Amino acid sequence: MKRFRMAAEAVELSVLRQPLEQSGAGGYCSFEGWVRDTNEGRPVDGLDYEAYNELALSEGERIIEEALARYEITDAAAVHRTGSLKIGDLAVWIGVSSAHRDAAFRACRYIIDEIKHRLPIWKKERYLEGDTAWVACMHTERAHLSEVSDAHDHAHDHGHAHHHHAEAHATPIEATRAPFVPDYSRQQRLRDIGPVGQAKLAASRVLVIGAGGLGCPVLSYLAGAGVGTLGIVDGDWVDASNLHRQTLYTAMDVGQRKVDAAARRISAVNPTLNVRTYAEPLHAGNAEAVFAEYDLIVECTDDMRSRYLTSDAAVLTGKPVVFASIYQYEGQLHIYTGQADAPCLRCLWPTMPDPATVGTCAEAGVLGPVPGVLGAMQAVEALKLLLDLPGARRDSLVLVDLLELSTRHIALPKGATCNHAGCAAAARQALNEARASESLELHFEHLHDALAAGYQLVDVREPAEVAAQPLSAASRQLPSGQIAEQACGFAPGRYLLVCASGRRSLHAAQTLRASGVEAYSLAGGVAALARPVLAG
Amino acid sequence: MTQVTLEYYAQLREQAGRSREAVQTQSASLHDLYAELRARHGFTLDAQALKVAVNSQFSEWNRPLVDGDVVVFIPPVAGG
Repeated sequence: MKRFRMAAEAVELSVLRQPLEQSGAGGYCSFEGWVRDTNEGRPVDGLDYEAYNELALSEGERIIEEALARYEITDAAAVHRTGSLKIGDLAVWIGVSSAHRDAAFRACRYIIDEIKHRLPIWKKERYLEGDTAWVACMHTERAHLSEVSDAHDHAHDHGHAHHHHAEAHATPIEATRAPFVPDYSRQQRLRDIGPVGQAKLAASRVLVIGAGGLGCPVLSYLAGAGVGTLGIVDGDWVDASNLHRQTLYTAMDVGQRKVDAAARRISAVNPTLNVRTYAEPLHAGNAEAVFAEYDLIVECTDDMRSRYLTSDAAVLTGKPVVFASIYQYEGQLHIYTGQADAPCLRCLWPTMPDPATVGTCAEAGVLGPVPGVLGAMQAVEALKLLLDLPGARRDSLVLVDLLELSTRHIALPKGATCNHAGCAAAARQALNEARASESLELHFEHLHDALAAGYQLVDVREPAEVAAQPLSAASRQLPSGQIAEQACGFAPGRYLLVCASGRRSLHAAQTLRASGVEAYSLAGGVAALARPVLAG
Repeated sequence: MTQVTLEYYAQLREQAGRSREAVQTQSASLHDLYAELRARHGFTLDAQALKVAVNSQFSEWNRPLVDGDVVVFIPPVAGG
């Protein structure tokens, strides 16, 4: 016999109760849910319930079977209404009979909590002011999970004594739980978003470049907001030094690829997303093709080369970009709208600065929440662009100083173009040059392989860095800042330049090339070398 | 003498040891002003690595200074 029903019409309580009247039952406990006249302070006129009936019926039946297995009860039944209900109408009914009252009370509570949490039922509230709102009824808190396990529990519970504990409980319930249905009601309630805006987000494709301090909040908020497709680009692995600011990761993730840990985490937040990962940084050869698959780019790396590549590829593909970068306690936010006359990154700073002068978090230090603030601002800007929300739509640069708690908004000159022949020509030329310089980057796991291949090593790191982490092979030491003035001192030969990450060494290699030296850069720097296995 | 207010960000703030200052200057242009400040604070960045804004608008380096200008030299930063 079916114990759970969905009812499109009003139900008669005595009919519902009758099957529970059994001779072994010493009592009966019921719960009735009624339509009340307010919701969150707003006067309500009535409700319309809609359900995915087939799933609701099978899941409702399963909940009652679970209650029968967990509690020492005689029988149980429940019914949930659909259709139009007035104030005071019965929306849901649960009845449980049992030999002893305690089990009936507990089972009744279990059933209503699970129904509220798991059944695919939505209600449209009709407000007295005349408007309406759809509210998903799922995912409300399960109060029975916070019950303290009780020493007086009866024998039957001993075999399943874990059912009071949320963690252990998850195992049997999880296996049968209905598919997750996201609830965007809190943001949909915003007048400028609503169901239309939500559908726009579901259809949007956003590429987040860099899953570090800025990328973590960007990914969290865009996943939570329901952006349908999220691409994540990052070539790094999670390091313990990331955890003070990169909030997607835990100590368990250290040593894992950031793209994998980040994808797992945001998929856990919103399993309905389509998440795509790129475990290598983009390069001049593929950036335009990758950008073509997205509507919006969010640039979150700590790498000047990536920023310029992003700007160039965005200019050529017409994609908007939300840039941010940070320095210690400050940040810069730059919105590039992707329109033909929008000023690109090269309009601001025409040539890529020497990486040694711009500071990374590793070199300059950073307070953990600073990228959090700037990343959250990037998420807001991204949603503004995707949803066409009201507010400034102009290209702008915002300087944020979190020590002073001040922001300075600098309007970019309208129609600014690069100094040369306009942004597109500058971007095309830069991408061509970047393709050429990518051929300067060589990959080695061990420095002795480079020596064996005939390269002479030049360590371009600062003396303190060299002292902290000396190279495992003989090298000449020449900090990157001194490369230009020493260029004429290089004897003919092939040189492999090495720094911490491969950025300064590439820049230095280009400098040497300009003086006719056959210089290459170790791709990824010391960080990309195979780590020596430590004894013990 | 021209009275201007300066705001410093990132490496410039660090090297100047302050976020803002008011200065009396005989420099006629932004270019001269930066050279003067660079000598005083030991700024490591060349002017060509910076963007300059006056009164919240980006500006050309040869712009003459006017009493009351708020000048911001903006270095590119890369942290993320």
